[in-house]
Amino acid sequence: MDAFLQAFLNGLVLGLIYVAIAVGLTIVFGTLRLVNFAHGAFFSVGAYVGLVVANKYGLVPGFIIAPIAVAILAVILDRIVLRPFYNKEPTSQLLLTFGIALVIQESLRWIFGGTAQQYTLPPELMSPFTLGPIVYPAYRLAFALGVVLLLVAVWLFLARTDYGLIVRAGIRDRIMVQLLGGNITRASTIVFALGAGIAGLVGAAASPIYSVEPTTGFDFLVPSFVVVVVGGLGSFWGAVAGGLLVGILKSLMTLYYPPAADVIIYVLMAVVLIVRPQGLFGESEVIRQ
Amino acid sequence: MSRGTLRILLFTALGLAVFPFAIHPIGGYPGLATQICIMAIGAVALNLLLGEAGMLSYGQALFFGCGAYVSAILVQRAMPQHPNLVLAVLGGIVVSTAAAAIIGALVVRLYGIYFALLTLAFGQMGYFIVEQAKDWTNGDDGLQGIPDALIYVGTAGVDLQTPLPAVDLGPFGNLSDVHLWYIFAAVILLLVIWFVRTLNGSQFGEVLGAIRENEDRSRMIGFVPQLYRFAAFVIAGALTGLAGGLRALYDLQAVVDYANIDRSGSFVIYTVVGGVQTLLGPVVGTAVIMYLENVGSGFLAKYPQLPGWQWFEGLIFVLVIVFLPAGIVGTFKRKRKPNFAKMLAVKR
Repeated sequence: MDAFLQAFLNGLVLGLIYVAIAVGLTIVFGTLRLVNFAHGAFFSVGAYVGLVVANKYGLVPGFIIAPIAVAILAVILDRIVLRPFYNKEPTSQLLLTFGIALVIQESLRWIFGGTAQQYTLPPELMSPFTLGPIVYPAYRLAFALGVVLLLVAVWLFLARTDYGLIVRAGIRDRIMVQLLGGNITRASTIVFALGAGIAGLVGAAASPIYSVEPTTGFDFLVPSFVVVVVGGLGSFWGAVAGGLLVGILKSLMTLYYPPAADVIIYVLMAVVLIVRPQGLFGESEVIRQ
Repeated sequence: MSRGTLRILLFTALGLAVFPFAIHPIGGYPGLATQICIMAIGAVALNLLLGEAGMLSYGQALFFGCGAYVSAILVQRAMPQHPNLVLAVLGGIVVSTAAAAIIGALVVRLYGIYFALLTLAFGQMGYFIVEQAKDWTNGDDGLQGIPDALIYVGTAGVDLQTPLPAVDLGPFGNLSDVHLWYIFAAVILLLVIWFVRTLNGSQFGEVLGAIRENEDRSRMIGFVPQLYRFAAFVIAGALTGLAGGLRALYDLQAVVDYANIDRSGSFVIYTVVGGVQTLLGPVVGTAVIMYLENVGSGFLAKYPQLPGWQWFEGLIFVLVIVFLPAGIVGTFKRKRKPNFAKMLAVKR
């Protein structure tokens, strides 16, 4: 298989992780008007929980327990620490979640140590999968498929359920939703848990592909911020398009000019900002908040 | 200079004069005091953004790293024979100001959350550039063994590593523990505080505050908020570059840590812990956190079963935000002001 296709598929897998994180950020932003710095930490917690459970009971229990554990952690944090900050200015919310992210990250370092760990896949999942000209590790393909299914489920939630309606309406005009009697507080708890659960599940599922460190989540979070800016804050399809664009661009750059692989996505972000400050799919009202 | 300004500067100068000796009995040392003065410049700069203009920048490490690396490269490559500290630091300031102008032009159009995300992302971009431009920055290893830069008075070079004359101060160490570097850094910090106070009191500062409180109204009055935000961003970038240059020439190295996300985060932590929207808050916050870091990480190294210093740093930060949102200096100030609303309230 040629290197281009290989890099493209790697970029697709990476991009899907960015999409999943960015979608979580976006739906939480929609209901809470909160950009959650701790979202990356949720990803890390999911990865570690998944790693521990998978090593003991196997991969599938890890995938089930990790998102539940992370969602519970998120709800506890939301109730105890975040709720008093709902009506404060966005800056202090950002500072608070930044602090929470730091504490979670350092707790992981305390418990699991700072060295990178990786889940060793059983040999049958390591084997390459062949489909025409494509030869690619079976697990990565399954991972990509799984994330796509997850995203479809989230989209159905947003498009077809009452809570999804509140979220979508909240992205447009949060105050109007409340005036019309939408219970945005209850929706926000569910959405916060959902966003965290997605991050936790993807973190657990990604741990056999990328090694896990306490800072792993943050390393994925910052490009996801880029994704959100490129795609447009509050837009599901913006997150999807932005995530895939960023992931594939970064991966192809790793192939053709490695030193610029990490920088190129910020160049992309700068270009988008000049040409279309609200992001590719964003609406211009959202950025002035 | 108004009497209020003079009083604050004298008070601060006095504090800075006793500071390196005051921390001696509690595990501090003058070298730490010098680093604190230098980093406090960066925190004061961040507070100009966060406190005055309401712009939360998570990318200050870019300007700090810029100042540090440019100063270090200038000393190492352009003038290894006669390393001129002032020229090197000025070079660092020029480049970091230019970087702040380019990035500022992009980011001041955006607000709040968006602004924070963008500065964070551009900060990360700077980090990766520093890490990858190995020919200039030596990558992960950083630039080591930078020649000791001098301050030229006429043709005579003054070495800032010269200690003061030896005078025994009992429990507070010895006067000779303090090098000229500390005095230099403290004077610069004092000048920066003076500059920022003057700026805050000027019409420029007033307009920044107005923009922070209500941008639409300030636009209606006829100001152009973007210009003011841009100017604040560039000034903060320049001051942060100054801090970076001083830090590199003091540490005699420029390492990739200067440009990473933790550095940006630490300026935010220093400022918030000390007190946003207070003149001396960032300085106090820098001193408290850096002192605790120094003593705390030494102590924690002996107890591997305890979490590392950064865990405690994060916890302190969260606790301050939740319970002490005005910060150390802000809380202190608030207590001293009489609360007229309470005094006038009728008891039921």
